[in-house]
Amino acid sequence: MRKSRIFEVFEQKKGKKLIIYTKNLVHGKKVYGEDLVTEDGVEYREWTPFRSKLAAAIMKGYLNIGIRKGDIILYLGASSGTTPSHVSDIVGKDGFVFALDFAPRVVRELVYLCEERKNIAPILADANKPETYADKLSLVDVVYMDIAQKNQAEIFLKNCRRFLKKDGYALIAVKARSIDVTKKPRQLFEIVRKEIEKELVIIDYKILDPFEKDHCMFMCKKK
Amino acid sequence: MAKENESYKELESRRSPESLKRLYLENLKLTKKAIKESTGKDNLIIQTIKSIEDLKVGANKLAKRLREWYELYNPEFSRSISDHRKFSQLIISKSRSELLKEIGLKEAESMGADIDKKDIDAILLLAVQIITFYDTKEKLEEYLDNAMEQFCPNTNALAGSLIAAKLLEQAGSFEKLMGMPSSTIQLLGAEKALFRHLKTGARCPKYGIILQHPVVAKSKDKAKAARMLADKISIAVKVDYFKGEFIGDKLRKGIEDKLK
Repeated sequence: MRKSRIFEVFEQKKGKKLIIYTKNLVHGKKVYGEDLVTEDGVEYREWTPFRSKLAAAIMKGYLNIGIRKGDIILYLGASSGTTPSHVSDIVGKDGFVFALDFAPRVVRELVYLCEERKNIAPILADANKPETYADKLSLVDVVYMDIAQKNQAEIFLKNCRRFLKKDGYALIAVKARSIDVTKKPRQLFEIVRKEIEKELVIIDYKILDPFEKDHCMFMCKKK
Repeated sequence: MAKENESYKELESRRSPESLKRLYLENLKLTKKAIKESTGKDNLIIQTIKSIEDLKVGANKLAKRLREWYELYNPEFSRSISDHRKFSQLIISKSRSELLKEIGLKEAESMGADIDKKDIDAILLLAVQIITFYDTKEKLEEYLDNAMEQFCPNTNALAGSLIAAKLLEQAGSFEKLMGMPSSTIQLLGAEKALFRHLKTGARCPKYGIILQHPVVAKSKDKAKAARMLADKISIAVKVDYFKGEFIGDKLRKGIEDKLK
């Protein structure tokens, strides 16, 4: 087990394959059936790029994901908490994650996760209406968004404007198929890029093939 | 701008560990409450229709297995009756010789193997289970009928409880279904064909779930009937959502008259 180029993310070679891990915050607990590896008394959780777009972005060669120990994160589109659990591992006990989702069914699973980990707070709200949950958040260091909506770039900017601190990082996973099924993904990514560039500076851009089909991830910084 | 600055400062002030802890506890409580309040009657109806469909699939699968199994013992009878439920009931209540007599055959002429009573009992255990599957399905359909009658009387009167519930299931919630234009309702359940059409330019689908409605199924021009029915359903759903007067029977009669 050795440190990877990204803060608080570890990597290990298994044969030819490279596997990434995060330190488990809650000892001995699995979140979604992933593998646990113990080395020198520290427990690590495997982070599979096929289930998490953030892990896919790291595997595709992101040099920095902007998330550090002790950061406060706003996670839009938390679903049942697969990726948020790893983000919560990265930020550690001093950090905090606001995990937001719209569907009651998946937030029910998320609540169980939040009860186990004291650094995630669940919020059941529509990311399209920041005013409805503004009083439930603090200012955040990083905004991460993974929601499959037609106007996701617009929602992303809305939230960054309101909750992201100055010079804070923002990550957005874009699903081309949920914007328009008829257009080519690359074309759509260009459109999204132009829309984001109006307000944020784009630092990095990666297409998440082969882990996620027709997805890409932008990393941005607030001006 | 001044107001924005103010909210920025307030948001910033919540970054201390104490207030984060408070936010954690508050959000957990609020979210639990919100989840509790998010369940409506439509969620129950959607789960009911899903259960009915699962029961249908399960009962069919088990019934096929039962026949395969029972045919080792008595193949001729299984061929003579196609209704799974009746078949299961009969093999429990009557013996092989009685059943064969009913279809005019003697036991000695049968191709079935002679097996022990213990082995037959094992087969009949499965038959009992299959009957309960069909019974449960029937009871759930009855419940669905009543629930739909109360929950959305207009849509129910126009489309029938099963189709209305299936539309609800496809839409995801009553609110979403209410917001749909009639063209979307027309194609609910035909998503695969629709996206194939959009992607490759193949011929577009003309109806989804509403094809199961007798008005559409019996009509000569199905596309036209589907358009009309979807149109009226979208009206009925909106009336139901805002608790309007009962116009379901009028809508249905209108369509039936027009398509004559």
